[in-house]
Amino acid sequence: MADVNITVDGKKVTAPAGTLLIEACKSVGIEVPSFCYYPNLSLQGACRMCLVKVEKMPKLQTACTTVISEGMIAITDSDEVRQARKGMVELLLGNHPLDCPVCDAGGECELQDMTFSYGAAESKYMEPKNHKEEQQWSPVVYFDRPRCILCYRCVRVCGEGMDVWALGVQNRGVGSIIAPNKEDHLECEECGMCIDICPVGALTSGAYRYKTRPWEMNHVGTTCAHCADGCKTTLGVRRSETGMEIVRGDNRDKSGINGDFLCIKGRYAFDFANREDRFVQPLIRKDGQLAPSTWEEAFELIGKRFKEAREQHGGQAIGVVGSNRTTNEENYLLQKFARVVLQTNNIDHHRTADFPAFAAALRGKPESTASMRDVFNAPAILLIGNDPTEQHPLMAWQIRNNVRLHRAKLYVVNSRDIKLRRQATGFLRIPKGAEGRFAAFLNGDDSVAENLRPVAGTGADAGESRATTQTTPAGFRDQLRSEQNLIIIFGAEIRGGDIASVVKFGSGIAGAKFLYLADYANSRGAADMGLYPDLLPGYHPIADSGKFHQEWGGVPQTPGLTLPEMVDSARSGKLKALYVVGTNPVGRFDIDPFVFSQSFVVVQDMFLTETASLADVVLPAANAYEKSGTFTNTCGDLQLVKKAAEVSGSKSDFEMIVRIADAMGADVHKLVPFGRGTAADMGQSRGAQSGEADRHSVWLEAHGLEPKMSPFDPMAILDEIQRLVPGYEVSRMNLLAGNDQRTSLVGRASGAAQNPELIAPANDHLFSSGTLGRYSRTLNSVMENHDQQPAEF
Amino acid sequence: MADLVSHPDEVRVVSRRFGMGATNLDRYLELDGYKAVQKALGMGTDGIVNEVKNSGLRGRGGAGFSTGMKWSFVPKQASKPKYVLCNGDESEPGTCKDRLIFEHDPHAVIEGVVIAGLAVGSHTGYIYVRGEYRYLLDIMQKAIADAYVRGFLGKNIFGSGYDFDVYWHGGAGAYEVGEESALMESLEGKRGIPRIRPPFPAVVGLWGGPTVINNAETLASVPHIILGGAEWYASLGPPKNGGTRLFCLSGHLKRPGVYELPMGYNLRKMIFEVGGGIPDGRALKAVVPGGSSTPVLKSDEIDIAMDFDSVAKSGSMLGSGGVVVLDETTCMVKFALRTMKFYQHESCGWCIPCREGTDWLKKTLIRFHAGGGVNKDIDNMYYLSENMLGRTFCPLGDAAAMPTMAFIKKFRKEFEDHLDGKPCPFEKAGVVESVLA
Amino acid sequence: MPVLQNIAAIAKGMSITFREMFQPTVVENYPDGPGPLKGAIFQERYRGVHVLQRDENGLEKCVACFLCAAACPSNCIYIEAAENTAEHRISGAERYAKVYNIDYNRCIFCGYCVEACPTDAITHGHGFEIASFNASDLIYRKEQMLAPMPAHMGANAVFNRDEVAAGAPSLPVQGS
Repeated sequence: MADVNITVDGKKVTAPAGTLLIEACKSVGIEVPSFCYYPNLSLQGACRMCLVKVEKMPKLQTACTTVISEGMIAITDSDEVRQARKGMVELLLGNHPLDCPVCDAGGECELQDMTFSYGAAESKYMEPKNHKEEQQWSPVVYFDRPRCILCYRCVRVCGEGMDVWALGVQNRGVGSIIAPNKEDHLECEECGMCIDICPVGALTSGAYRYKTRPWEMNHVGTTCAHCADGCKTTLGVRRSETGMEIVRGDNRDKSGINGDFLCIKGRYAFDFANREDRFVQPLIRKDGQLAPSTWEEAFELIGKRFKEAREQHGGQAIGVVGSNRTTNEENYLLQKFARVVLQTNNIDHHRTADFPAFAAALRGKPESTASMRDVFNAPAILLIGNDPTEQHPLMAWQIRNNVRLHRAKLYVVNSRDIKLRRQATGFLRIPKGAEGRFAAFLNGDDSVAENLRPVAGTGADAGESRATTQTTPAGFRDQLRSEQNLIIIFGAEIRGGDIASVVKFGSGIAGAKFLYLADYANSRGAADMGLYPDLLPGYHPIADSGKFHQEWGGVPQTPGLTLPEMVDSARSGKLKALYVVGTNPVGRFDIDPFVFSQSFVVVQDMFLTETASLADVVLPAANAYEKSGTFTNTCGDLQLVKKAAEVSGSKSDFEMIVRIADAMGADVHKLVPFGRGTAADMGQSRGAQSGEADRHSVWLEAHGLEPKMSPFDPMAILDEIQRLVPGYEVSRMNLLAGNDQRTSLVGRASGAAQNPELIAPANDHLFSSGTLGRYSRTLNSVMENHDQQPAEF
Repeated sequence: MADLVSHPDEVRVVSRRFGMGATNLDRYLELDGYKAVQKALGMGTDGIVNEVKNSGLRGRGGAGFSTGMKWSFVPKQASKPKYVLCNGDESEPGTCKDRLIFEHDPHAVIEGVVIAGLAVGSHTGYIYVRGEYRYLLDIMQKAIADAYVRGFLGKNIFGSGYDFDVYWHGGAGAYEVGEESALMESLEGKRGIPRIRPPFPAVVGLWGGPTVINNAETLASVPHIILGGAEWYASLGPPKNGGTRLFCLSGHLKRPGVYELPMGYNLRKMIFEVGGGIPDGRALKAVVPGGSSTPVLKSDEIDIAMDFDSVAKSGSMLGSGGVVVLDETTCMVKFALRTMKFYQHESCGWCIPCREGTDWLKKTLIRFHAGGGVNKDIDNMYYLSENMLGRTFCPLGDAAAMPTMAFIKKFRKEFEDHLDGKPCPFEKAGVVESVLA
Repeated sequence: MPVLQNIAAIAKGMSITFREMFQPTVVENYPDGPGPLKGAIFQERYRGVHVLQRDENGLEKCVACFLCAAACPSNCIYIEAAENTAEHRISGAERYAKVYNIDYNRCIFCGYCVEACPTDAITHGHGFEIASFNASDLIYRKEQMLAPMPAHMGANAVFNRDEVAAGAPSLPVQGS
């Protein structure tokens, strides 16, 4: 759009036509205060805080609703304007309770800031304030009505942003109140966006209420440990008896790939970390019982037994199971440890998507995967399978708001009436399990068209979606072919050769990009880092292990056992040792626990899961909020994981792997290339107060002095990952500064040698998160609450 | 049904058929009914708009914007359907004119809506009747049904090939909905809260279509203009203030009621001759010239012509034509309080200054009138009104602030007489409640 | 006559001594004075060991707003907040201080906390005898600093005289 020139407070401003005055002012650093205006939400003009003088207008104008026009002259700072703002604050404070000392928002309250800026702290009124009782709307949302200033942000973000419409306004005049649309409680996705967006302390979080004050916490921005979308969540941590305790999760600076968004898991489901029943010391099975022990004893025992197994039965007698929730560095280290120290390729993880086949299909097109940010800006999106609203809340948010704000066209193909159909331009309902057939159909196989008809009686619900016409599969495909820059998002229903079909179809569309949905925080990372028996990091087949062979000094040349094969091997007594890092295969795959009675089982975990309960040694692990490293989300966005909390008695998986290698007598220097080519950072390590240390590390990195003085420093192995894993050549500077970095998926010719049937989607919903979710009190209470009141979405 | 009043100075245009049984369609036809529409059908779009422009007809709802001008803003071509809205949500205290029109001459409103529709090329009209006028809905409903039966509405009206539908809609009792964009929200089934402007209704209005919205009296005047001609109508009032107007005289008067007088009629004459003066020989204290939202005039300020421009010059507004006369026994503080109670109750709660301001003004005035006032309250109330004036989302905030400021400015002495725990000096004689019931 | 001069000088000196001997004492007779303060006399403004005040209903005034901790230049105040419930009401507002510790190893008695307090909950008492052989004894808990229940609330169990005698936590010396 053409640019428009205006003058604000004597400053010349140029902005695209159609820009709001408030945004134009912001672009040159002039702050116009507002409560009700919020970028990307509909305009309200209700709070009247943004009044500015616009020349040739008789009255003051609201900057949030005024669109700039050529030659406009605006004054945002005059006595008249200041008095208007002061008057508004005075009016607001009239009924606003002065309970700042107890209010959760005290210290980060926009009304407080305005009062400081415009000075209206003295009340002119003598009458008592209107009081209303506080209400609890859901296990996690409380509403303190007198504090509400009726900016309607919560109503809009819930309706427009989340498409939930759980909030509304009741009564009129001074009796107006925000209220749930369903009687006295929220029937919603419990995302907590209303709390985040509330400029005052009217909406408060059930998890954080009255616990502490904002300035008492350290705020650490890290990556969420739950689903594969990789939202940035800021954890508020404070000292506790056992280290650093997480008190709050929120979306404090809105700088992550998730922008304004954060779902219930990123916001509240950190509470597993604070549970009393966490392991805080190593346990060793003695006389059939797990008994507390010391780290030294545990490592010594593990080292001895692993070494015995390797030396007496060879590497194939040892199995390793990795995790979808450990960092890239840990995953890389784990498979390197397995291959180099344990000398086995028997390594696997819980596969939630077929990334090897995806990588193989994208061979030669490394830049054709879509990032999370792309999803917000694409002109057209095709979604096959999955239900992002439940399984990928951020993805759903990006799609929804792209449709709302950019009029993107969304095409949905699903066997269920998923909620996103409401935003869809086209919705095609196919029978359950027909996603693969649909992929073939897309690719031109018309013979399967007949099998794509929806099951009788459960036809596409066109009335609910934006789709105006009842689409046939052929018409749907034609519509898709006419799109440009289409992003094709597909769930794990599509795997193996079907992925190639989808990619082939997409290749016929100009600018098409692809996005594959896996389920856990670092599922993509686990795949990229080679937690496969037949693939090395970067989807290198074992046969093509050239540079790894060289770098590591030897990699076993035969593909190892998959997880089910390890179980079989254990059943037949061949598997002498099993090393399980941060995962629960016994619970997840319903494995007969007696299978492992002949194997020496080591489990690193936080809780007594089904797998941990049959272990010979249990090592208390730190979770993703208690360590540093990187996560790769399902789109391939690489983000930093920062250490926020600490529970004494636990160690990071990284450290434990290194210590086990050490106990086995391996050369730790070869495993973790630490202390190379660096100058000392005077012993500074990433402690609990990691903010400072991380800023420090940015500086060090910029000067080529990055600290890698410890074998437990994940950054040391990140060097090797960046060197050896194709697609991970990102800017370290930007990564360490907290920005998300794009990795690319570099396919290999023979990468698709995987077994698609090994893929087991997690099928989590909004309030569950695999084994981890079971240990979150908040998620459980919300689920209980929703069982009593079944939600309608 | 209200009794009708009359006075020799009246010029009956809109009220021509009052009391003549014109609710009956046959009777209405006898009284030149539906002739204007038929004439308008032959005039063409521009013909109608120009005729109305030349007549000098200005909106009777309060703002006094030229009706012809308003119609000319509607784009000729539009992708969405255009609409004509009749604003019959008459809620301004002191005003009761639309009620008489609906009661005595509903077909004139329908005719006006159809002519407006012809003028802007719309095929749908809505008549929005105030919620409290429940009994008028029956009259309106019947009138519309009758017109449909005769083929005056619906497909092919008067055999002209033009289709026009008219619907009635009853409000739910909100003063705020008198504001045009709030009325549209209400009509669409939402909370009656005004919309952000621009875009103006003429471009984006009801259901996103270009919309003409006029007061019922304005629309009821249109058929007479079409029939009688623009020049005749314009000649009835002073320049730029064409025609006549229904003035609603109320308060301390011997003969209160709705009188149709030419625009520019002298206010003093209106009170003392048309309204018969103040009973029992009491003296005049103040006059509210155009409904409760207009600033009050003192007894020595009433030698003015009652047209939009002259009243504006005197520092008040002609508003909706509700002239409220207050005699010397009236307590202005109590009157201010009663007015503020109304606005506090009717504020929609959307924007801060109106929602909070009206509430604090009411609370303060209650205490003040009860004798609990302190000196700084007077200045505080004025300051509060200043903070509201011109800063609210819609004119309701102004409507509450302007009269309050006028009361304080012009009758500060009376406010001061309430200070220091003194009882209201007018308490025994106070009859304000009955004035603004 | 140097001898006489010496005698005169001694007599002069002693006369001052003997005269002052019968004047009233001006120094404070601490710690041998009367009363619980052992003779110490304080100005009203003296800043001693903190006292956490109660309101007229016997509820704690502290609402755990952390402003004292934020104002404290020596970072010696540690608070853990908790929410009041209908059954378990400690303070007048929604929140109360579950833990309120002041580390007198670090406190510099500057009074900033008192100034920061929005509810007048923390005040300086006149307690000053806090020397200890053990540094950890100098971390005072809330129970050690809380003002006693108002007289009319005497039924409160913890501060009941009999129970204190039976071993319930008692209060240190309070302000004058």
